[in-house]
Amino acid sequence: MPKHYRPAGKKKEGNAARYMTRSQALKHLQVNLNLFRRLCIVKGIFPREPKKKVKGNHHTYYHVKDIAFLQHEPLLEKFREIKTYQKKVKKAKAKKNEELARLLLTRQPTYKLDRLIRERYPTFIDALRDLDDCLTMVHLFAVLPASDRENLEVKRVHNCRRLSHEWQAYISRNHALRKVFVSVKGIYYQAELEGQKITWLTPHAIQQVFTNDVDFSVLLTFLEFYETLLAFINFKLYHSLNVKYPPILDSRLEALAADLYALSRYIDASSRGMTVEPKVDASSSSQSNDCEESELRLAQLQHQLPSSEPGALMHIVADNNKEVEEDEETRVCKSLFKDLKFFLSREVPRESLLFVIPAFGGMVSWEGEGAPFKEDDESITHHIIDKPSAGHLYLSREYVQPQWIYDCVNARIILPTEKYLVGRIPPPHLSPFVDNESEGYVPDYAETIKRLQAAARNEVLPLPGVGKEDLEDPQNLLYAGVISRAEEAEAATIKKKMATLEKQYHEELKMEVKVKGSNAVVSPVVAEGSEGEESVDDATKQRIAREDADTSTVMMSRKKRKLYEAMKIGKDKKKESVERIIRRKKELNATQE
Amino acid sequence: MGKAKTSRKGKKAWRANISTEDIEDFYEKATKDALSGGNLSAAPSEDLFHVEKSHDLPVKRKIEKHRERVLRCDSILKKNPFVVAVSSSKPKLKKSKKTIVTESKTSKQVQKNDGDDSVMVDLWGDDSKGELESNPRKVSKITSIIPAVEIEPPGCSYNPTTESHQDVLAKAVAQEMQKVYKTELGPAPVPLTIDADEINEDERYFLDVDDVNEDEDDGDVENEVSEAGNKLPRKTKRVTRVELNKRTRQKALRKKETKEKYKKKISNEIDSLSNIIEEIAQEDEDKQNKHLRKVIAKQDVLKIRPPRLGKHKFEAPPVQVLLTEEMTGSLRKLKACCTLARDRFKSLEKRGILVPSKNIRRN
Repeated sequence: MPKHYRPAGKKKEGNAARYMTRSQALKHLQVNLNLFRRLCIVKGIFPREPKKKVKGNHHTYYHVKDIAFLQHEPLLEKFREIKTYQKKVKKAKAKKNEELARLLLTRQPTYKLDRLIRERYPTFIDALRDLDDCLTMVHLFAVLPASDRENLEVKRVHNCRRLSHEWQAYISRNHALRKVFVSVKGIYYQAELEGQKITWLTPHAIQQVFTNDVDFSVLLTFLEFYETLLAFINFKLYHSLNVKYPPILDSRLEALAADLYALSRYIDASSRGMTVEPKVDASSSSQSNDCEESELRLAQLQHQLPSSEPGALMHIVADNNKEVEEDEETRVCKSLFKDLKFFLSREVPRESLLFVIPAFGGMVSWEGEGAPFKEDDESITHHIIDKPSAGHLYLSREYVQPQWIYDCVNARIILPTEKYLVGRIPPPHLSPFVDNESEGYVPDYAETIKRLQAAARNEVLPLPGVGKEDLEDPQNLLYAGVISRAEEAEAATIKKKMATLEKQYHEELKMEVKVKGSNAVVSPVVAEGSEGEESVDDATKQRIAREDADTSTVMMSRKKRKLYEAMKIGKDKKKESVERIIRRKKELNATQE
Repeated sequence: MGKAKTSRKGKKAWRANISTEDIEDFYEKATKDALSGGNLSAAPSEDLFHVEKSHDLPVKRKIEKHRERVLRCDSILKKNPFVVAVSSSKPKLKKSKKTIVTESKTSKQVQKNDGDDSVMVDLWGDDSKGELESNPRKVSKITSIIPAVEIEPPGCSYNPTTESHQDVLAKAVAQEMQKVYKTELGPAPVPLTIDADEINEDERYFLDVDDVNEDEDDGDVENEVSEAGNKLPRKTKRVTRVELNKRTRQKALRKKETKEKYKKKISNEIDSLSNIIEEIAQEDEDKQNKHLRKVIAKQDVLKIRPPRLGKHKFEAPPVQVLLTEEMTGSLRKLKACCTLARDRFKSLEKRGILVPSKNIRRN
């Protein structure tokens, strides 16, 4: 066929030549709609919106090159093969030849998505960058009920569960978790891995339902791809820890639905096993490559670990984290809950807390079998409880609500527990994803936390004049909470010192303000003298600044200028919304009083 | 049934009727065996087959030997290390590389396929290769600027501050009210039943008759009007030569006048050139402003709404926020969202990955 040949009716250029509708694409590829959808999802090809919709607004358009890309996909052939094979099975069944049908079903052709993952994500970073959706989906399907109607098998739900736990175990072992936000929709987590911020959403511990406005077959296709992707990512991550990937778990813990704990123990065991295993081999003297036997040995190894030590993660931290270079933040995260022991009551969200607490270096146990330590352990420092009142109280520990953990994590300090005690309504749970400075509006509790953070820093490096409130302020009671009880007496003296220093600072501030005020008053009236000079300077400066802005807008390219103007409009909007919030708050306060 | 009729007359005839096939077969077999060297079935297998145990290689076939022979011209070149053989054509470096790569790929694939599904490999084991290996086609990965996991505003926290909660609640209410207003302002649906008395059969006939009469009346009137109209324009005067001349003169005059007017206008415009330039500048500015507004509006819309991909528009899911009486501050009593699957689905639609559709399941 000559190069210039163009079939009759085919357009040469423009949108008509560059885009084709979905039905045209189906015809071109000779596949049915279902298969086409699957291919598109797996291959990462999505519809586009051409500038000019040649066939009308009610069609879906694909780029011609996208379709050509699909056409050369080897998976397409594979899918066709599977289809023909299904026909064979169907035929055998129709002929009542059950034997043949069964035989055929055992030998079904399968396909793999490894190559596609490599193609779509050429580097590991690329894959991490696109992990948000994947993680959310896998976490969601881990809690969905298996259903015949939706074609969701138990096996897949379990796989999702396993993958999500593996991911969480890695994140928590590497202390990569940064932010947690409990919303109505679910719990948002943000982790930082290789410089990439990965955000995902996990559902609350309640039954998820199937709704009618969701096409589950599409979601399942996405899930299929995401399962493969996450498995490869987990593989890579676990191998970076020198841990065998498909982890073999303690079946006892697995049965008790404590997969996450089992996983952390597994990681611990196998990273220790690097040194321990040769000894075991020598003693047993029977070297067997049998898979089952090694599995058994691993399980035994895990049992050899002292079960009273729940902080399997802590061990690794102590043992072999030296070679891993850490940044500042990881160090902070690692040591947040250091030396603290937590116990979870029955009614708190266990899965989430079991993930979060070890991620910040704490030791945790729960009510139930297989737990690392019991409730009556004397060394427990915090008991997480979500009931109006606790039954039996131990004096050695503090009873707090689960929100305390999340707030501590977001603030990166141990917050005082007074406000979170049992039976009280805790302070509002603030979103860590909102940048208060850029938003322009800071909630009261955020300010309190900020002050506490500053105070915590002061403990190490005492600097006067951070707090600006009087000591009689009720919020200052929280200062005391930051400092442990034993040091309270010391704290009192420190407080006194701080108070004097603060007063000094305040006076200085007042002086400054006075001076500035006089400046502001005097300058417009008097145009001479030192202050007058200053004001003139200010005016010229302002003018220069304005001119600068003008010239810069002139100098900017058209695109940049537009962007700049768009930014300005956005800023104005934000300011407006902040003002609205403040106004509303005032009104609220007014109505309450 | 009687016996087959055979003649029993003489010995010769009797002999002809007896089959000697078995005897003949035996003789045939015997001669065959004798020729081939003994009965095969009786012979032991060691006699029939023997195991080749010698290690020396079989003699190469003649053709292969022939192939191995080096041509004289080549042998001459080979002997001299300084002479480089000139290939007949320039090898295409690029192409050869490609073929090698594909070969290695396919071999790898085969190996992978042979392995079980559970066998995992480090996909990104050699990241450097990932960069070198150019994608067959750059797939535009980012379909929209909307992130995959959108973080809810702080008011959607399970225990929000009052202000932010009010803010989000107001938005949710606005969303709901918009729906209400839409249904209110839209055309009223056709009622399925009407409260009215049933019409008798006789009356029904009359109804029809009335209509017909009126129709006919209307038709008559229209006919009359149209007839009157037809008669009027038929009256036309003949145009005389004088009149024609007059018309041409007037036409020329008008043309001249318009020309003069145009000249005057142009001179006026030249006088007020500065004004015009100003006007043009202003027009340009207006145009630019309009364009700018359009662009910004489009960007804003893209942030909250995907491009229109199919027949149906994207409909945002309702905001998941607690009502004021549901705010308890306890994680245990939280009335959480249980339709996360829908949230995921809507997110896919919002990012322009899926085409929004209505009535996914009709049952």
